[in-house]
Amino acid sequence: MTADRYEIHELMIARIAEEMTSEGEHIVLMGSFTPLAYAAYMLGKLTHARDAWLAGYNAVGIGPVELSFTGSEAAAYRSATSTASFNQNGWIFHLGTRGLLECVSSAQIGGDGAINLSAIGDYDAPKVRLPGGAGAPEVVQNYRRMVAYFTRHDRRTLVEAVDFATGRRTPIGAAAREQLGLCPGSVLIVTPLAVLRKDEDDRPFELESVHPGVDVDTVVENTGFELTVPAEVPVTGEPTARQVELLRERIDPFQTARFDFLTGEERLGYLEDLLAREWDRAEALVEAGAR
Amino acid sequence: MEDLPGLIPEGSTVVLGGGWFANHPMAAVRELVRAERDDLEAIALLGSVDVDLLVGAGALRHLTFSMVTLEAFGLATNFRRAVQSGELPITELSALSLQVALEAGAHRVPFLPLRGPIGSDLVGMHPEFYGTASTSFGDADVPVVKAVRPDVALLHATRCDQLGNVQHEGTFAMDPELARASDRVIVTCEEIVSTEEIAADAPLTKIPGLLVEAVIEAPFGAHPCSHVPRYAQDAWKLLDYQKAALAGGDAYAALLETIRGEDEESYRERMLGDGRGRVLEALVEAAVVIDEETA
Repeated sequence: MTADRYEIHELMIARIAEEMTSEGEHIVLMGSFTPLAYAAYMLGKLTHARDAWLAGYNAVGIGPVELSFTGSEAAAYRSATSTASFNQNGWIFHLGTRGLLECVSSAQIGGDGAINLSAIGDYDAPKVRLPGGAGAPEVVQNYRRMVAYFTRHDRRTLVEAVDFATGRRTPIGAAAREQLGLCPGSVLIVTPLAVLRKDEDDRPFELESVHPGVDVDTVVENTGFELTVPAEVPVTGEPTARQVELLRERIDPFQTARFDFLTGEERLGYLEDLLAREWDRAEALVEAGAR
Repeated sequence: MEDLPGLIPEGSTVVLGGGWFANHPMAAVRELVRAERDDLEAIALLGSVDVDLLVGAGALRHLTFSMVTLEAFGLATNFRRAVQSGELPITELSALSLQVALEAGAHRVPFLPLRGPIGSDLVGMHPEFYGTASTSFGDADVPVVKAVRPDVALLHATRCDQLGNVQHEGTFAMDPELARASDRVIVTCEEIVSTEEIAADAPLTKIPGLLVEAVIEAPFGAHPCSHVPRYAQDAWKLLDYQKAALAGGDAYAALLETIRGEDEESYRERMLGDGRGRVLEALVEAAVVIDEETA
């Protein structure tokens, strides 16, 4: 049953969660605390992908955890079945090509699927120095899935060619990948407007689906690279009532995933309010203990 | 604690433990700020406020990193400014290639092969680091990274003893590999305990004392980062930090002056007094694992 009301981030979360398939060794890496991606992993773990292995921080075999800025790390360890150094996990998951999914989100993505997490403008004299890619270069190259999500869909983000390729999946075509001993799997882009997919190196991204109420022209106009538009464009599936209930009541009661969609002053106010609720819950525990 | 900077020779390459907002050696970082160091080369795998504070205090001559971010609080302000202005020379690498390079350093081999970040522009940019090797087994042009051996590793842990044995209960990132790769290992810890207590829980020992040169007791030594399961990240103080960094000028100068005008004990009183430390501990208890049976 489709939810009567949902927000766009909930649709994106549900769509990303679909990528937690049972292929390969079913390992999903959480990376740094990126609320929208974490929400997708937890939603998958609580629904169709209960046997997925979640790994994050030094913890492996993590249960589904409630998202919060200050609590997700602690909950990960409390539920984990083992721990290992970043290096041990990196050799197995990232470099050992056993990873299934770890979402990336970058400042730019190009028509070739390259992502830029390094610099806007000239690398040596950048207009904006970005954080850097952490493990993303190995994730996009070696994991079975490459899923990049963006909280805005515009020509500044989806560009013909990135200013700098921090990471690039190469090759993309399944046959060429398998020949090199790499996991096959396409490049998927999930935005607030649509889902785009690229299966072959020498063919553009294809419009896989538009979200309900979004017209195809809006997607094309706001995409900076060439896009193949099929004659019939499907509409992205809406989240179910059960998915929305899980997200709001169990996975993300503090609504951390909505935060990424905000900008400027609104963003700061939202964060302060959210953190105040996290603080109040912990302080209540202290007061209960003191009584 | 105040003896720590003296253990780091001028011009040293210092690798920082922890990752993201988890378990960075912040007490040690503050001590370097207090010593007004301006001569260090840092290596940060997944840096945040540790790197940004060192950059803001002018402590670094060079930075090797895979990521420096204040996550929800925004781009790392001082890092961003210093790189954009050209003031801070950098070497950007992918996380896994830096990890493998440090592991090569730890194993005392000149390089290690990996299914590396092929396709990344970083590879062509750093031929001094990314290379290829061929073997007598018939392998040709296997991607390799050159070993990295830092002079000093600065780490934070849960418990240590006088022999230098190091135990972590929560996030230890790649601290064990950093200890093995570095010539000199300095560890701050929440508490120094007896060797009997360490031995009673030997599987928790992530770094054997034979690798460690100095241990220093520093309660809340990761603050404002987390040291799970003892305490969560202090998101509110991180936000204060970011506001001061964004304001820059007098606001950031005041932040540095305050740190330089106090020792770690006064820092703890200022930051964690009035029961704040207890709330940071309670945030760990408040964290929720979702019950799959009822969800």
